Amino acid sequence: MNKFLPVVFCFILLSSLAHSQDFTYGENSPEELGMKKYNIDTAARAVVLNEYGKARISDDSEGNIRLSLDYHIKIKLLTTKGFDKAKVEILLRILSNSEEEASDIKGYTTYVDDNGTHQTVELDSKSIFTTKENKYWKTVKFTLPNLRPGCIIEYKYTTKSAALGSFPSWKLQDDIPKVNSKYDVHIPAFWNFNVSLRGPLKLTKNTAEFEKECFTWYGAKADCSFMVFQMDNIPAFVEEDYMTSPKNFMSAVYFELSDYTNPNTGQKIKVSKAWTDIDLNLKRSDYFGSQIKKKDQLKPYIAPVIAGKTDDLEKAKAVYAYIQKNIKWNKITSTGSENVRKALDSHSGTVGDINLALVAALNAAGIRTEAVLLSTRSNGFINKLYPVEDDFNYVVARANIGNETYMLDATDPLLGFDMLPLKCLNDQGRVMSLDKPSFWIDMLSLSKQRKSQTSSYNLTLQNNGKLKGTIVTYYNGYEGYEKRTAIKKFNTQDEYIEDLDERLVKTKILSLDITNLDSLDQPLVEKMEVEIDAFDNLNHNKLAFNPFFFDRITNNPFKLNERNYPVDKGMPSDDRFMLTVHLPADYVVDGTPQGVAMSLPNKGGKFITNFEAVGNTFTFSNVLQFTKSVYEAEEYPYLKEFYNKVIATEKAEIVFKKK
Amino acid sequence: MKLICTTVFMLMLVTLAKAQPNYDVSLLPKELMPYASAVVRNEEISYEVKDLDNVIYHLKRVVTVLNKNGDDEGSIEVSYDKNTSIKYIKGMIYNEFGKPLTKFGEKDFSDNAAIDNSTLFADDRFKFYRSATGGYPYTVEYEYELRCKFSLTIRDWTPISSTNMAIEKSSYQFICKPDFLIRYKQLNLDSPVAIGNNTEGLKVYTWQALNKKALKSEPYSPSPRYFLPRVIVAPETFMYGNINGSFNNWEGMGKWINEKLLFKRGDIPAATIAYLAELTKGITDPKLKAKKIYEYMQEKTHYISVQVGIGGYQPFMASEVDRTGYGDCKALVNYTKALLDAVGVNSWYCIVNGNHDYKISFATDFATMGQANHVILCLPFKNDTTFLECTDQKIPFGYLSDFTDDRTLLACTPQGGKLMHTPAYGAQVNLQARKAGFTIDNNGLLTGSINTVFKGIQYDNREDILDEPVSEQRKLFPKLYPAINNLDVENYNFKQDKQVLPSITEDIKLNARDFATTDNGKLYFSLNPLNRTGRAPRDVRNRLTPLYINQGYTDDDEITYKLPAGYKLEFSPMDITLETPFGKFTANMVIEGDKLVFKRYIQLKQGTYSKELYSEFVNFYQKIADADNYNVSLVKN
Repeated sequence: MNKFLPVVFCFILLSSLAHSQDFTYGENSPEELGMKKYNIDTAARAVVLNEYGKARISDDSEGNIRLSLDYHIKIKLLTTKGFDKAKVEILLRILSNSEEEASDIKGYTTYVDDNGTHQTVELDSKSIFTTKENKYWKTVKFTLPNLRPGCIIEYKYTTKSAALGSFPSWKLQDDIPKVNSKYDVHIPAFWNFNVSLRGPLKLTKNTAEFEKECFTWYGAKADCSFMVFQMDNIPAFVEEDYMTSPKNFMSAVYFELSDYTNPNTGQKIKVSKAWTDIDLNLKRSDYFGSQIKKKDQLKPYIAPVIAGKTDDLEKAKAVYAYIQKNIKWNKITSTGSENVRKALDSHSGTVGDINLALVAALNAAGIRTEAVLLSTRSNGFINKLYPVEDDFNYVVARANIGNETYMLDATDPLLGFDMLPLKCLNDQGRVMSLDKPSFWIDMLSLSKQRKSQTSSYNLTLQNNGKLKGTIVTYYNGYEGYEKRTAIKKFNTQDEYIEDLDERLVKTKILSLDITNLDSLDQPLVEKMEVEIDAFDNLNHNKLAFNPFFFDRITNNPFKLNERNYPVDKGMPSDDRFMLTVHLPADYVVDGTPQGVAMSLPNKGGKFITNFEAVGNTFTFSNVLQFTKSVYEAEEYPYLKEFYNKVIATEKAEIVFKKK
Repeated sequence: MKLICTTVFMLMLVTLAKAQPNYDVSLLPKELMPYASAVVRNEEISYEVKDLDNVIYHLKRVVTVLNKNGDDEGSIEVSYDKNTSIKYIKGMIYNEFGKPLTKFGEKDFSDNAAIDNSTLFADDRFKFYRSATGGYPYTVEYEYELRCKFSLTIRDWTPISSTNMAIEKSSYQFICKPDFLIRYKQLNLDSPVAIGNNTEGLKVYTWQALNKKALKSEPYSPSPRYFLPRVIVAPETFMYGNINGSFNNWEGMGKWINEKLLFKRGDIPAATIAYLAELTKGITDPKLKAKKIYEYMQEKTHYISVQVGIGGYQPFMASEVDRTGYGDCKALVNYTKALLDAVGVNSWYCIVNGNHDYKISFATDFATMGQANHVILCLPFKNDTTFLECTDQKIPFGYLSDFTDDRTLLACTPQGGKLMHTPAYGAQVNLQARKAGFTIDNNGLLTGSINTVFKGIQYDNREDILDEPVSEQRKLFPKLYPAINNLDVENYNFKQDKQVLPSITEDIKLNARDFATTDNGKLYFSLNPLNRTGRAPRDVRNRLTPLYINQGYTDDDEITYKLPAGYKLEFSPMDITLETPFGKFTANMVIEGDKLVFKRYIQLKQGTYSKELYSEFVNFYQKIADADNYNVSLVKN
């Protein structure tokens, strides 16, 4: 079982009078004051001594129902590197009818002053600044004064929000360790939330109690459930290379609204209980279903694009290319669209605008196409314990033609048909159609996407010591996309060639042909005539030659002794290289390295080299293949050792000598 | 009859074209196309000084975006703050034939705060609009007007502000009353200023740039201000916040800063003064006293930027920094100066252009505020002038790093401004000297130790790692020595020497299995696993700019390998010597009994060299890269 999967809470409410409590503000024990190092983690730059939060839905004094969070934290800053923890930024949303507010901010720093005595300086209210970041967000920022290594900072504040459904999640784990973190939650029975715990760590305390009539609202009364989530001795989260979003692995408690009862009317509103609810919701919504239904509106746009085409695949490709060209992505990620037609007319749109326009346009062209909601790699995994619409942050199209399905993202004009950007290759996606129940698809294992590159070199060693000949490289699948992106960074092909020639200092490019640059579904082919400065001259009896003259692997990307999280590459890869060298007539191959063939466990990959010499011609071939998208932490030592062998092998040289 | 009709029609077309400029992309001059992803068709920038606290900036710009790479040139970003307000913005997008497509205005712009991570508060904001059409090329025409409530600083005119952008026409006008005095300096422009009067009787200075080809990026080139067109304008009298002022040289500017911006900002509490007296008790040497105070300041403060009040050029009160323990560069320098004053050590507030990539000196003949972006402190000891970087909490006393070394700055003294030059760290000073003793056994196992001294600017190579906890340091070693695969550091030690010219000594004891590869009775290993220069810089055909080396350095490596018994070299040993005007490289290996001794020496000299030397420079680095890649091949005796 995957130890990183979230778990859902099932509570049995016990009636109790015992109340959880915040820790006392402004009280520091001699141990805390005197602490020089955190014994459990001596590498810690800072340690959270205590953290407490209390979230509740209640009646504020002005006759509104508000979701409020009292936040309180005390941190010991052990070194100057820990000072970043004294910079506090409270992110507040600007909602359509009200802005979220932060209030009752107070804090202090206790430090040892110049004379060796403990001093306490209060946070000055004049040093608390509010900035409107843009029309959606504002921030309240402050920093605790008089920081010194060894000081203790403590601060607390309250935020209030009218967005009652967005119950604050609680990050138990951070990049510094915590002695204690406790979250008290009071939820009136009018609201029901699904609660889940993510991360491999266990809660120290987790209780749920019953509070009688804790919520009243114009005569309506409700009992509350009072939940406590507490964890002691929480280790710091240490990020590793080649992992997806840390969010997938950090311990935290999440809340998702499932239903609520309007306290004014007594009407019960289901938010999300089952996928059928979400399906219905999305189908009816202005930002999703209504946009996909706009196929009739898009028909006039699509008609000339598919005119004369009879084959569905051909039609689909034409529509895809049309949307790619006609709506430029404005760098905003979304799952919905305000108006797909407006996006087409203004030539600018979000991910939702572009790909829902694509779904509608393909349907307008008679191709059955669904929208697929997904979460990008940086956004983290999807919670599959219960349906949560907000977990998704991206949408793509899935076209059904004959017995095949094709995944499409039109936000990048260089992506080929049936290709998704790496950021989308994450976890699972939910296929949403207007007429059938939604269902999951695996974004990684079902993906046909590969990165593959095949090069063949055919070179002749000249008497002046230069290697002259042809290099042909095929860039397939995602490799082709990446190569096209690199070429298109230049205004013209000539500028690309000039740059390449300038970079390959020892190689003179005599000519270069690129085929299929704009035929995105074909492999990109680059054919170069080159002259390489291999040797200064041929006045030696013996010469050595390393076949990996362009991209020799010399550094092992996997350097850790211990690995905690999976290595996520997103897609399999395959690199093939074949080199033929013709030596001058008076030379003969003296020695070739031994061929190597090795593989990763569970068919995870292979590395094969082969040398062959016949007279004054030798051939070398090499395959480096990774067949999996994700390697578990347990496979890390194998990957590391695999690379060790690759590096060792690529050092070997072919030797040839004068007859 | 027919003929006349055509003529009339054509005349009409000409008239129309005059009323509405033609943005048809096919009219673009062919010679502007190479390397261009966008072309500025026409740009008109003007400043009009209505009053010292009412200056109007007007910009009109028409730019054709040729492909995706030029999209940023077609996007519009307008910065403003509490002293600069936007009066209007409007614009239009045209298709490739010059036909209007989309009209836009201020309401279509997003409004954002422009605050970086280390800033707690600043009122800098920007409005942003991204142009889009259904393809390329397209043309964006826009204009906006700003009202500035100050006249101390006027933005420089830099018609070429990025690579891959060509200019058909760009012009700059400065408009003021006939008796309003300005100073100006033009750099790298083809034609001189034209001075005239407009219909309202105001004086108009006009500069323009025509038909400038797009530049491509050239590695190792000097700061763009040394080769790109630029006009700098400075009013002789001005207003800043509610402070009036005037200056026309560096001396006057330094005096103004000292008397107006720094006036009464140096008070610190009596308790702090008393503590400082206690702290420096018994120290008579003013330099040692200053060092004590400097280290006290470093321990007590850290960098955070808060731009309130008139902000910009005026530091926070020293008392405020004393209370909160934070501030930006101005505030921390002003505070340190106040602390030094309290113990009777004189110091000067210095403005400077801080930059890691270029040493940018102030133009000695032309004083403007805009040339500075940083503040440091000067201790004017006789024959021992010392500069202090007050914004870094770890940097040694008197050491400047490559951010402010070797450049002309302005010291603001009570007697007026004084141009001074900061110390240069030469190629010999920036030394990394390494000695390693390794043993390789029959199985390819490497064991041994490395001793390395990092000095001068190369001190910075290891400064950061010192702050890391042991567990992180251990994780960093494989990244510092990536060419030793399977590196296992048995133990290590760092010794830090925080002198004016600081150094760090690193000692490592290590082993690495499979360092050498055995194959067909041969043993291969990489000769230089410790210090690799990496890829040579990109060659540049038809280079336009000189070769610029910002920082010289010396690396001196010696590795002694004890080889397993019974092997000999397969090839004759490597021996390379390169001597060039900009540097020197030697690498060689010799066999001494069962030992192989590898020596590598590289010295690069800072300076500006003729562009003709650039290909030799690329070649120099390529030869080094080749030598660094050398594999030793041993065969059985």
